[in-house]
Amino acid sequence: MSLAATPSVGRVVVAMSGGADSSVAAALLHARGVDVVGVTLHLWDAEGAQKVGRCCAPEDRDDARRVCDHLGIPHYVVDERALFRERVVDPFVAAYAAGTTPAPCVHCNQHVKLTRLVALADAFGATHVATGHYARIACDTDGTPRLLRGRDVDKDQSYFLFGAPTDLLARLLFPLGELTKDETRAAGRALAVPNADKPDSQELCFVPDGDVGTFVERAVSARGEEQPPPGRIVDETGAVLGTHAGVHRFTVGQRRGLGLPGGAPPRYVLRVVRNTGDVVVGADDALRAVRLRATGVAWAGARPASPFEGEVRVRHRHTPARALITPTADGFDAQFIEPQRAVTPGQAAVVYRGEEVVAGGFIA
Amino acid sequence: MIYLDHHASTPLAAAAARAMDDARDAAWANPSSVHAAGRRARALLEDARRAIAAAVCVDAADLVLTSGGTESVNLAVLGLGARAQHVISSDIEHPALGEAVARLEQAGARVTRLRVPGGAAPSVDALAAALTDETALVALQWVNHETGSLLPIADYAALCRARGVPLVVDASQALGKLPIDLRALGADAVAFAASKIGGPHGAGALYVARAVSLPPLLAGGGQERGRRPGTPDVRAAVGFGAAAAVLADRLADMPRLAVLRDRLEAALVARGAVVNGNDAGSERVATATHVAFDGLRGEVLVAALDVEGVCVSSGAACSSGLAAPSPSVLAMYPREPWRAAGALRFSLGPESADADVDAALVALDRVLARLGRGAIEAR
Repeated sequence: MSLAATPSVGRVVVAMSGGADSSVAAALLHARGVDVVGVTLHLWDAEGAQKVGRCCAPEDRDDARRVCDHLGIPHYVVDERALFRERVVDPFVAAYAAGTTPAPCVHCNQHVKLTRLVALADAFGATHVATGHYARIACDTDGTPRLLRGRDVDKDQSYFLFGAPTDLLARLLFPLGELTKDETRAAGRALAVPNADKPDSQELCFVPDGDVGTFVERAVSARGEEQPPPGRIVDETGAVLGTHAGVHRFTVGQRRGLGLPGGAPPRYVLRVVRNTGDVVVGADDALRAVRLRATGVAWAGARPASPFEGEVRVRHRHTPARALITPTADGFDAQFIEPQRAVTPGQAAVVYRGEEVVAGGFIA
Repeated sequence: MIYLDHHASTPLAAAAARAMDDARDAAWANPSSVHAAGRRARALLEDARRAIAAAVCVDAADLVLTSGGTESVNLAVLGLGARAQHVISSDIEHPALGEAVARLEQAGARVTRLRVPGGAAPSVDALAAALTDETALVALQWVNHETGSLLPIADYAALCRARGVPLVVDASQALGKLPIDLRALGADAVAFAASKIGGPHGAGALYVARAVSLPPLLAGGGQERGRRPGTPDVRAAVGFGAAAAVLADRLADMPRLAVLRDRLEAALVARGAVVNGNDAGSERVATATHVAFDGLRGEVLVAALDVEGVCVSSGAACSSGLAAPSPSVLAMYPREPWRAAGALRFSLGPESADADVDAALVALDRVLARLGRGAIEAR
């Protein structure tokens, strides 16, 4: 496939985090003769020891710049820290403090990355924006772009991308969509991309040590607000089993950190009761849900008038589960054929039909 | 490529490039060595020093050759301000001076930072009012690196002399833009950088008045009369000297650049820009226009213009590649942060031609048209 031969692709802004995937995405486009401009959005300032080797750390910006220098293309760092804090970090903290488990990468793509990158593409006279996501876009016969999952099922990142409006989708390119991670690395090596073998980041870019509880507590005190209050750990009958230091330290399906005496069967967080602050625990089977309700839903195309069968993914890397989807006024209800483990309020629920993303929203 | 960022770095002047090429086979030697190779290098170094000294009307013996403007400013400020109780500076300084003064502050000095609202320099009376019996140092830039705003340094120097307070001047952006006669000026220390006058990076100079004793920043040998240890970069100094030797040509070009700058600025204003640092009561050098587009972000404009092949800057260049909002302009207009956020600096030099300005405006029109569609808001 020669993208440069496609008349509609002119200059392309590539979002570069400094990681291997986005670097290879830029290199692949460049190798096809595309006029590529590298952009790194500066979203967050890492602190102290967290500075090392994570997205938004200065060395990641340096890595992105090094790749662009290697390719001989321009690279710009654009400050979006204020927007990222407002649209991603503050809601993230508020969601945990309210006992839910937010999906910051979804919010970041919807409200920060893709929107700002397209605005920058406009400023640079670029027709398209490319990212290193493992996802694909295919066009209907009438030319309407559709979001598809990446060819590599393990790496698929379409879950994070739902909700992109059609006019935005029409301007996105995912150069890695047809590749597996191994093929990406191989392509990177073949193109001598300097950081082709850099390890993937595993944690949230702004919580690189993975300690979400401490991050939330620090953010709350930095704002001079009250910490989430301590509460009770109860079983499904309401019997008090212990206490906890705040709902922000719990997420549905969690087993560790409950501070309960051991024993069999193991107990898991089933839900957090919003108005009491109780953390309800129970056995693994109680963790399985047969339905979910999603709000804040974006449909690819028009909202279907009647229920339909699809597959629903309830978290990143969850194997989409067959369900009957019933559109509602503000979202959809999904009735699973097989009960699904740890359906967690705040996480995204993304509906697929085969490879196509047809809807996405947030679990209520 | 259209280069309109001469306040960041000037293209290497032809005379400097030639002199550095010619010096290559001799400049490697250690000019402190007594042998023939050392003598050849020393001759080059001292010729360069004389050329620089002549350009600013002082004795060569009063110039310390350094690695650039930052080192020159630090040497003067940290040396003359050591153990100072009170220091006077301004709030629009280049970080080389601003951060050096901040070090004095950390060491216990009280610092008064004069304001430069809208680019209007503090009056001599304002400086006089800030002077106290405890004032041990006045440290100011001559020309603002961002807006080109000009401070009445000669008047300040007369006052400081009368009050017996040492004056350090950062003349990095003044050299080559204003005639400089250090003997008439009477400042205690004046810092220069080669890379602002067509010389190379890695070369600078500090004039130090005879009576002033200045400790070196680094521990080491006795080079530069004990004021700057370390073997000097002779080749860079040769480039500085050669650029200084043709400084008169640069100065003679200023009236032309003022006309060109004014034309560029009028065109920018016609496109909705507001000029920074040229408010009533201010004076400027001929080489720069610093503007802001309300509602647009300077860093985005700079990137978009670069994509179009036009090199300009927004705020101060930063090593991370991230442009911070222009600190000088923020200080000049504390109530109008958009003037710093939307900042765009065009700076001209002898290489700048009418055609460069025309091409830059064509590119800017393209970018502005796109931004009208893309709506990138300043926040």
